[in-house]
Amino acid sequence: MTNVDQFESFFKSATKTSFAYRDIEIQKVLLVTDLEEEPAQQLSDQVRDFLTVLGEDESVNWRTVQGDEFRTVKELLDLVETESPDLICAYRHLHSEAWRWPYSLGEELDVLTQITSSPVLILPHPKAQPLDEILKGTGSVMAITNHLTGDHRLVNFAVRFTEEKGTLFLTHIEDESVFRSYIDVISKIPNITTETAEEEILRQLLKEPHDYIRSCSDTLQAKGLALQIQEIVTLGHHIADLTRLVEEHQVELLVLNAKDEDQAAMHGLAYSLAVELRKIPLLML
Amino acid sequence: MQTFLNSGLIIAQATHGAGPVPLAVTVMFSLLLVGLIVALALEEQLHAKKSVIAGCFAFVSLFAADALDLLPIGSVTNVFGEVVELPVYIPGIDWNVIAIILGASLFVDVTSRSGLFTWIAIRLTKISAGDPRRLLFYYGVLTVLFSAVLNNVTAMIIVGSLTGVSLNKLGRKDKLLGFLLVEGLLTNIGGLLTLISSVPNIIVGTAAGISFVRFFLITSPFVVIATTITLMMGARLFAIHSLADEEERQEAARLVADFDENDGVESRFFFWFGASMMVLFIVTIATTSVLPYISELGMGYVAMAFGLIMLIRYKAVADEFYRALDWDLLGFFMALFIVIDVMEHAHVLDLMGQGIVPIIELGATLGTGLMLVVAAVASSVTDNIPLAAMLAKILSGLGTSNDSPLWWAVIFGANLGGNITPIGSASTLVAVTIIHRYELPLSFGGFVKKALPYAVVQIVLAIVYVLLFLG
Repeated sequence: MTNVDQFESFFKSATKTSFAYRDIEIQKVLLVTDLEEEPAQQLSDQVRDFLTVLGEDESVNWRTVQGDEFRTVKELLDLVETESPDLICAYRHLHSEAWRWPYSLGEELDVLTQITSSPVLILPHPKAQPLDEILKGTGSVMAITNHLTGDHRLVNFAVRFTEEKGTLFLTHIEDESVFRSYIDVISKIPNITTETAEEEILRQLLKEPHDYIRSCSDTLQAKGLALQIQEIVTLGHHIADLTRLVEEHQVELLVLNAKDEDQAAMHGLAYSLAVELRKIPLLML
Repeated sequence: MQTFLNSGLIIAQATHGAGPVPLAVTVMFSLLLVGLIVALALEEQLHAKKSVIAGCFAFVSLFAADALDLLPIGSVTNVFGEVVELPVYIPGIDWNVIAIILGASLFVDVTSRSGLFTWIAIRLTKISAGDPRRLLFYYGVLTVLFSAVLNNVTAMIIVGSLTGVSLNKLGRKDKLLGFLLVEGLLTNIGGLLTLISSVPNIIVGTAAGISFVRFFLITSPFVVIATTITLMMGARLFAIHSLADEEERQEAARLVADFDENDGVESRFFFWFGASMMVLFIVTIATTSVLPYISELGMGYVAMAFGLIMLIRYKAVADEFYRALDWDLLGFFMALFIVIDVMEHAHVLDLMGQGIVPIIELGATLGTGLMLVVAAVASSVTDNIPLAAMLAKILSGLGTSNDSPLWWAVIFGANLGGNITPIGSASTLVAVTIIHRYELPLSFGGFVKKALPYAVVQIVLAIVYVLLFLG
């Protein structure tokens, strides 16, 4: 190491982003359905059983919205504003038959996930598959992103929704196609050694989330939280690899960011996954 | 040439070219020397590397000297009695100095891969708990120590780059200019601590026969005093205060705690090996003059040997380290020694010596003080290495005794003069480069305005110190 840039790079690399633990309080849950009273109550019971991680019934205020309480997106948004819940639970294509076609989330969720600051738990559609088989608990939770380092909120929510002694998978998948396109450009620049660049860039790209996950693990251990942290940091294809990982680890809840500050639409990765992964609950932040 | 002759390799050389030189020729070569000094001062403006500038002057000087029959061209006889053909410019180079610089650079570069220096720097940052004043003092002391043990430029690069990153993280970018400037000034103070801390020390110290230990014992009290004063002035003039608020203190401590000093430590074994070798290197360099056999081989051998030992770990990729060496600096030294050797044959150094004699004749007090000021002012506008090399030759030529304070006047002046202007030393130039890297405005005049109070205090302090304790 002989120049300023080399040492500066070294010191920048040595500056880690430590995980900042925050206790997430969920006292009020709003379950939005398009069902009538009885099936809505049935679903409510299933969801409560699924989310025992939130605490005893007395500590959480549950409110179930029935199908006749809203018809339009505006009415649903008004309802959410009035209730101001800490968590919204809903499923795709409310008041619609479009759930039969796996190509979108439906207009209510498209808008709701972007407008409300509360996280939205998207459940599989009750008519699509029996929820008893899916909503078994949150012993295996996976937080996913393409930029995990410093995403304290994502990790804190994932921690909050992981059952005691459960497993939390902190997953960072670096997009291989983007990486390859940059390496392809580098390979055409004579004064950059392609092999070294490929090796070093990949190492650094994966090192940062690895260090952050280690910090998460250390912090949670220091807090005495009884859950197991598993690291998945890799280069790959977002959708294909995540779908595979979810199946492989029998993930019961997926936690991901829905908002993208650069655009009004839902975060690209979140939308694609929400459309693809229809058989497990998704917590959209 | 003197060093080479002393080494015993060449015991006889053709005397062709020796003899009286017409004054006009000497003046012509003097102008060439002035041209070299001016070109080096304008290095940035010329967009030319030192080695190229000095190389051009060496090329022209050699040609002119040969054309005027000033050089001892011819075969030489070595210690085995063999007559060998050696290019005339080879014996002119002080290979001991080149070996010290080459070996030490290699040693420092490989050792830095162990993560040792950055580990120390980050550890100190964490100990400071992010308090700006404490950080300034810790970084200041670190700069001095690194300048002493490594070299000024490497010290400035390590501490300066860490300063940029840590102050950015602490949200104290407004203090960055003050930190970097003070650190830049401290590199030249740290450069006074040991015989191998700066090239002028090596050149003048070698010429005066000053041992490593003697050098350290003489300069260390000054370095301690000058560092303390500089840091106190820096804290005051740049308003770098301690954090008063408890909440601010906690936040700063949290932020610096995010630094991981072990990040760059690839191997625990190599880390400790690097640390041990560093200590051993300093001890060996310090005792070179008294170690059997080693004393005959000199400090250059020690530096090269340590560089090679460290390189064994990276033997398969040793070429990477060779590429990383500062060949511009090495090329510059070689060309510079050639130019000075030519100047010696053209009697330019004798002429300059005649100019210095009146200063010396002013007496031990005034003469020494003036010599220090002249050396400082001269090295503030041009490279202090040619200055030190020329003055060392001149003082040797005048038969100056080894215990004369004049040697110390040159050493102190050549080092501290670098603090007057941004081009006065390579390390202050690095400081300014880092300052500009962070888009902080600092012109040549701006630097002089900010640095002058420190430089004046340091130079006055050096004069008092040399006159009181070394006179």
